[in-house]
Amino acid sequence: MTRPSPAPTPGGLFVAFVQVALSGIGGGLPAHTRRLLGDRGWITDEDYAETFTLASLTPGPNAVNLAAVLGMRLGGVAGAVCAVGGILLPGLIVMLAVSAVTVGQGAALPGWVQGALRGAACAAVAVMLTAALPVLRVGVNVRGGVVVAALTFLALGVLRLDLLPVLLAAVGVGLLIHRPRAASGTGAAGVPDA
Amino acid sequence: MPEAAPLQLAWEFIRIGLISFGAANLPEMERVLVTLRGWIDARTLASGLALGQLMPGPNLLAVTHYGYAIQGLGGALIATAAFYVPTSALSAGVARLWDRHRANTWVNALRSALLPFGAGVMLASTLVLARTSLHGWTDLLITAVAFGLLWYAKVNSAVVVLGAAVLGVLLSL
Repeated sequence: MTRPSPAPTPGGLFVAFVQVALSGIGGGLPAHTRRLLGDRGWITDEDYAETFTLASLTPGPNAVNLAAVLGMRLGGVAGAVCAVGGILLPGLIVMLAVSAVTVGQGAALPGWVQGALRGAACAAVAVMLTAALPVLRVGVNVRGGVVVAALTFLALGVLRLDLLPVLLAAVGVGLLIHRPRAASGTGAAGVPDA
Repeated sequence: MPEAAPLQLAWEFIRIGLISFGAANLPEMERVLVTLRGWIDARTLASGLALGQLMPGPNLLAVTHYGYAIQGLGGALIATAAFYVPTSALSAGVARLWDRHRANTWVNALRSALLPFGAGVMLASTLVLARTSLHGWTDLLITAVAFGLLWYAKVNSAVVVLGAAVLGVLLSL
């Protein structure tokens, strides 16, 4: 399934995340991250589910936080700096160039550009879904996970509630279910660490 | 438009970054940059977001555009660094703590509590994105075909997104 790749180095992480950025026109960066790093054999679905959750819990844009977390895990501080630099640099260069031209003009985007955006956005929904499914698989394997995941989805996706109270409620319930007990073998479906 | 001191500019973008969860805290950006400080107008706020969607990389490179609109190249670099450096450092720090205390039973419990939450967030994000991006059957069809190519045929995601963008151009002619 995966071809053997060299172990991650800060330079390798930089190149990988530049690729993530270039794939991510129209969104879905976390999904591209999972695919590109998974193909290199650097992360498993469990790693991705765990790091994505950590990245979502801390403030700031998910995709960049994910780069920071994965960079830190795979290559320490240098890895984190290179991963974040890689995911930001391509867009930063283009945005500076575009800003220099457009600031103060307020020009509307031409029709063909809007069309390209629309097409890319449709594909981005599919990319997002391919990233959500493995995380879902890991999440529902945990005891009580199906219910917590479903309620979180309803609260955030359908009712559009604030993230913080939903987070506190979901984690509170989860901690109650999984609280450490003196006896061993609580039956929690722990995923073995790689 | 009022002048912005570099330190003040940095501070506002640090603050906006640290109170954004998941994606853009758009209401807060509007409140601070447009209403409170008067550094940019509502049109610049909107066009920055549209440009951010087009950029290779995070959509919130919109902050680079706002920084440029406020103070040129220096402003753009200050805004970008102020927005991304503290949030990235915080995430990486939390990850390091997490890995260090992995053996702790409560950290394990927290992990089991967080994974289903993360799954719910992912699904909810997909729904929100679908709601904003899909308008009608054509769009839904493009999404379905793209999903088939990604999930079953294992086609590279960049190829699928670019192909869909080309298709979008053809449909708009």
